[in-house]
Order: sequence, then structure tokens, then C-alpha cells
Amino acid sequence: MPRIRVAYRQNGAARFVSHLDVMRAFERAMRRAGLKLSYTQGFNPRPKLTFAAPLPVGMVGLREYVDIVLDEAASPFLVMSRLGRVMPKGLSVLNAREVPDESPNLMAVVHHARYLAKGFTNKKPDLAVIQESLQAFLARREIYVERQTSKGVKRKDIRPGIRSINAAAEDRELRIGMELKAGQEGNVRPYEVLTALQHLGPVQPDRFVIIRTALLSSNGRLVWEI
Amino acid sequence: MSLEIEHLLPRVEKPARYVGSEYNSIVKDWDKVKVKVAFAFPDVYEVGMSHLGLQILYHVVNQRDDALMERVFAPWPDMERELTTSGLPLFSLESRRPISDFDVVAFTLQYELSYTNILNMLYLGGIPLYARDRGDGDPLVIAGGPCAYNPEPLAPFIDAVFLGEGEEAIHEIVEVVSKRRAGMGRRSLLRELSHIDGIYIPSFYDVQYDALGYIKSIVPVEEGIPEKVTKRIISDLDHAPFPARPIVPYLGVVHDRAMLEVFRGCTRGCRFCQAGAVYRPVREKHLETLLQQAEDILKNTGYNELSLASLSTTDYSGVRKLITKLVKRYSDQNVSISLPSLRVDAFAVDLAQAVQKVRKSTLTFAPEAGTQRLRNVINKQVTEEDLLQTAYVAFSAGWLRIKLYFMIGLPTETFEDLEGIADLARKVLQKGKEAGVPKGRLSVTISTSSFVPKAHTPFQWEPQDPIEVLREKQAQLKRLIKGKGLVFNYHDPEASFLEAVFARGDRRLAPVLYRAWELGCRLDGWRECFRYDLWERAFRDTGVNPAFYAQRRFTLDDVLPWDHLDAGLSKKFLWLERKRALAGQITEDCRYGKCTGCGLCPALEIEPYLQEARGDATH
Repeated sequence: MPRIRVAYRQNGAARFVSHLDVMRAFERAMRRAGLKLSYTQGFNPRPKLTFAAPLPVGMVGLREYVDIVLDEAASPFLVMSRLGRVMPKGLSVLNAREVPDESPNLMAVVHHARYLAKGFTNKKPDLAVIQESLQAFLARREIYVERQTSKGVKRKDIRPGIRSINAAAEDRELRIGMELKAGQEGNVRPYEVLTALQHLGPVQPDRFVIIRTALLSSNGRLVWEI
Repeated sequence: MSLEIEHLLPRVEKPARYVGSEYNSIVKDWDKVKVKVAFAFPDVYEVGMSHLGLQILYHVVNQRDDALMERVFAPWPDMERELTTSGLPLFSLESRRPISDFDVVAFTLQYELSYTNILNMLYLGGIPLYARDRGDGDPLVIAGGPCAYNPEPLAPFIDAVFLGEGEEAIHEIVEVVSKRRAGMGRRSLLRELSHIDGIYIPSFYDVQYDALGYIKSIVPVEEGIPEKVTKRIISDLDHAPFPARPIVPYLGVVHDRAMLEVFRGCTRGCRFCQAGAVYRPVREKHLETLLQQAEDILKNTGYNELSLASLSTTDYSGVRKLITKLVKRYSDQNVSISLPSLRVDAFAVDLAQAVQKVRKSTLTFAPEAGTQRLRNVINKQVTEEDLLQTAYVAFSAGWLRIKLYFMIGLPTETFEDLEGIADLARKVLQKGKEAGVPKGRLSVTISTSSFVPKAHTPFQWEPQDPIEVLREKQAQLKRLIKGKGLVFNYHDPEASFLEAVFARGDRRLAPVLYRAWELGCRLDGWRECFRYDLWERAFRDTGVNPAFYAQRRFTLDDVLPWDHLDAGLSKKFLWLERKRALAGQITEDCRYGKCTGCGLCPALEIEPYLQEARGDATH
């Protein structure tokens, strides 16, 4: 049965929807679209939906991916057009393609991701100062952050997972671009980086809007293509 | 203007409670619509979005070109804190406007313990709490729902109360608000509204008390205002507005499924039950209507579960046909059908079996009382034999757990009745063993709630047991219900006590409510938020004795706080039912026997409507 990879955007109010709820929203949208989603066998059938990487609550996802296994023949175009008509506001279908059966699990493909954090400051940010402290930050061998886990607070070195950081400013808007390790191992959260960078300046980490702009594989290609 | 609230959201636990934009939600162009109504649910999003009434009224109002309805829920304390510190008002989900921007703020009164949330929502919305302090620019604050049948504790806070089913009346309310001329004062607006059947304007009535504190009279103080306000009902449910495109929440809500109302009303006549009293008469939908509505609602929502909602769905006269057809139509689409409550008989188990093909978990029944004597008193027509046979059938059919609901503190209850509960629990467990349910997996849960006397029921005159007595009864049950496979659950008696105070309360409770809110009482229905100590202080500070309302036996001569509000059942009938209860006499359901003379049909000029003649119903 066909496995269709759907690229979608999650923004607006939908950025405050949790990953679990997005999964359910897709399942319901498939029903509304009249598309037969495939389910696992057993007492508790689960829909065969595989998401590339959960999007943290509050983050915008410009190009997110989900692999959908159908129980009937359907072209990517059909899936895209039918699904596109019944998605809730803020979850928009961008593209769809068929993925061969033997291609690897979508989640396993994700290796790193690009983010853009945007925040407004009270006065025009001094880019030279920011660039300088960014250099110093990246020159550090290790950068420890605290991470809340089910087993309590854990200290974690995020430096190995930071591939690059850059900054730009326009009027009072400060933009920080980041390329960070993502996926199942060594994942670094952009919010953690912003927190570690707090001395940078006038914007509080929780006043940034963070946008995930790309999900990439280990060879730097978009996950979409794998 | 829309409010900028997004920066608050990352700081609260479940931001999706406040953002709206769910599938099928409707955002209209604010400036192109004349009448703006906010549906205010005085509890959190997950509870409010499970309420069918919200979906119905949202659909009805938004169908109009000249009106819009948006939603607002009680904020969780984390959001309240964010609003307060940022100085932002409580806002609607759709267009994120302060609720004070609306023409009408309509609260639904589902349970007494949500009353402090009403005050809190008004406050956070920047609306004066007391109706008398509101000016011409403030929204009209109205309320409906089951607790509207005794809204007296809320009387000074609400401009207008609506009694009954609002599908038609909401149009009339919108019309009146729409025709409101510039400069038309609040008082004339209220006068206009009072001409709508079912509308009760608390400020147009005066309550007099005697020297001992009993109510002497409740009389209209304005000319042309009725002495009694009677509830409104929809006569033809097949053609009543049906929300075929209900909002589909992102968040997992309490009832996260498509809800299809099968019929309205219940005439089983349990004497403690307010729903059974106020939603009369029984009005069933046609089978064809239901099948069509099921199709529409599933297509438009994408839910994988359809719940057949009503006060007692297995009583629907065409229930067998309905379920057979639904199961046949939807089982290969992975859509399951669910029955929210089951009657205690083998037929009901049979139906449950028909809808539940896989995953057999728990089956729930409500015998309500532990002995035949007490079941006769409350008119719950279930015998021990029924229950045990039903349990055996259910266990044999593969269910592993049975949950039984009981009420403690019912009028005339004795120790034998409590023993009876434990006895039934053991016997039901025994049936499970006999039916061969594996010992490790077999379980019987006994869940007890405490009796709360409610307005417009035969038990409206009856006192509630004091808190210590309820607690002692719970302790006794805890001792009695012991052993492998038996589980016992119960509620806080303090919460039930407050419920009783407000269920039978009058206007003198308003200052208590205000004081409790002032002290910080919020979300009292949530265990983690309930602060009984603050409530005790509120009663002390205001000099009101709560036991006067909850634990006193009212007499036939008493003027009841809700005597000017008419749910359709005559007081004479209710008193007769009370007498029959105390004599242990049962009263038949008028659907299957003769008219019981409750007084409703002649008063409302309506008749019960069944889709099929009885006889077909159970077999």
C-alpha cells in the first residue's frame, strides 16, 4: 500500500498545539478527506502515521513532514488536494510525494535542523557586539545546560550538537539563525541555546518566536528528498 | 481590537486551551456583524468543549448573518496569573477580544461548583460583577442551563436568566439586542427581554423574609412581569437545529468524540434526579434523522467514535435498529459506537456487546441504592436479580470489570442500606468468578456520590446528611467493601455539601459567593483547587449559616427560593411523589404505563413523542 510523504506547515495558533494533538488532527483530517488510513493490527489499532520530528509547543514549523500509509491506492496529488481542503487553520499541506517501501523510517533520517529565532528589542541591537559574543560562545569547548527529564534535572553538554549560529538585525528585530543536531540522538533544543546565550542581549528567551525552517539528513539534504 | 496575547502562551501549561482556530470554529468579520454573543463556559476548555449545548448554540447563532458567537472558558490559575500580571483582560478564543466588547455574555450553569468561576470570568473580563453596577456600555450577562432552575444565589450578578431549551429563544434574545436603539437604557432592554417566554429577570422580583429568616414572598415588582416564569422547550427534535459541523478540538477534551443526541428527556422518574425532572417530556428523534445526522457529523469531523447521547440511551424505542445499522455502516471504517450509560438489564449488555467488538474493558451500571426498600424509595426500578443476572451476562460476554454507581445519604437510608451496597458488590464479584473471569483481572468498582437535594425534584424538601455523617458512612463502606477484586471510590463530602447549599440556596448566598471569590476560591469542582477552608471563612465573614440551606428539612408551607420558576412539574405532584417515596411506593414511567400526572404536558401543551410503540423497544 502506498506510503505518502506529506510536507506541511504549522503556524499561527496551531504552533501552540502539541505533537500528540497534531497527530490526532492528521488522523481526523484523513477521515474527513475520505482517505483510508492504514492501521496497525491488534487490540488497539493505531494509525500508520510517522512524523519526522515532534515540533515543540510554541514553535513554528515551516516544512514539517509526515509519512502516511494508506489502505488504498491513491496518488500523492489526490492526497495533497483532498487533505488540503480539510486541514484545520494553521496546519497547511504544502506538498506530497510517494516514498518507496524500502526507504528508511522518516524519524531515523532526521539528523539536524535549522532554526530562526526572532525577537523584538527595545532599542536597535548592536550587531557587532552580538557577533563578538557569539564568537566567544562558539569558541567554548563545552556548554552545559540543565534539562528537565522524567528522572529529574540533568546536566547536558550541548556544544557538540551546535553546528552553527549567526545573528542578524533589522530595526529593532533581532534574528538568530541556528543549525542544531536533531533527531533521535544528541538533539539540541533552540530554546536551550537561547537561554545559554541570554547575556547576548535585550531579548528574553521566552519572548523569541522560534521557527524551524528545515529538517535535514546527515548529508545535508532535506528530509523530504530521502 | 484583537489583543496581543501570544507572548503569554509559552508560559502556561496548555496554551491550546486559549488559541481557538480548531477545525469548524467560526471567525466572523467583527465589524460586519451587529450582535456579538460570547458563550461563556465557567470551567476549563476541556470540560466546556465536551458540552453539547455549546455546540448547538454556536451553530444556531453563527448561522445568522447579523450575529456571531465566540467562546470563552474559565482560565486555569496559570493563565489567570499571566492575565493579571500583564494587565490583559479575559478574551474570546475566536477573535481574541475582551469579553467586555460583546453585546451579550451568556453563561451556562451546569453545576453549582462552577459559580465562583462566573464571578472570576466577569472580573477578569472587566465587567462589573453586580448587575446593578453595569452601565449601558457593559454587556448583557445572561445565564441558562440546568442550574438556572434555581439561579437565586447568582441573582444579583446576572441580568437575565433563561429557563429551558435555548435553540429558539436565542434568536429572540438576539433580535431584542439587535433592535436595541442607541440610548435605550439597560432597564428598558431588560423589560423587552422579559417579554420572551422563559426569560426571568431576577432584578424585577422582590424577595421578602420573615423574622426567622424564612422566605415570606417572592413577587414581581414591575408591572406586567409574570408571577411565574415557565421553561421553554423544543417540541420537534427532528427539526431542531443540529450542529452537523461541531468544532473539533485539538486538545484531548473530556468527551473527545462525535456526540449524537438521540432523544431528550427521561421519565423514569428517579426521585433525586433533577435532569429527569427538568428535561421532560421525552422527545425521540426518528431513526432516519439519526442515521443522517450520524453520517453528517462523522463526515464533517473525522472522529473515530460516535457517542449516542441522552439521559438513558438504552431507553430509545428504536435503539436496537439504530445500533445495528450504525455498527453495520461504520465498523469497517474503524469508527466505534459508544453508549454513555447502560440500563441494568441483559438487553443493555446485549447492546453494549453489539457496539463493542474489541477491547472489552469496563461496563458501568447505576443501581443507586443497596436495598430493594431504598430503591423503591428513590423509584429506581432495578432489582437485585436484574443486577446479578446482568453482571453474569456481562462477565460471560467477556467484560472483566464492572463499575457500580451508588448514592449515599439518600432519604430514609439506614445501615442496612450501606450493608446492601457491600453485599451487592460481593455478589457481583461472585458472578464474575462463576462466569470464569480470570481472578487477577476481575474487578468490581463501587463508586459512591453523596445525595444532593435538587430543586424541582420530589426530594427538594429533603435535608442532606451532615458532612460528619456522610464521612462516617463512607468509612463504614470502606470497612465493608474489602477484599480482592473490590475497589471503593467516593467524593469529598465537603464539595457535596456546598453543592447542596447552592442547589437550594437563595439570594442571601450571593455575598458568600462574592466573599469566597474574593478570598481566592476558583475552580471548586477541581480537587486540586478546592479550598473548603476558604469557603468556611466566607460563610463566617458573611454571617450565613450554610446548614440552613443544605441540612434543613423544608416543609410544604415553605416558600421555596425557586417557587416562582416553573420547570413544568406541579408542586403538588412533587409532594405526592415525596409521600409515595416515604411509603416505599414506586411510580411507573409514563412512556410505558399511564400518565403519572406530573402536570408538564398540559402546562406546556406538549406530548411525549416516541419513535416506536413500546413493546418493540426492548426486544
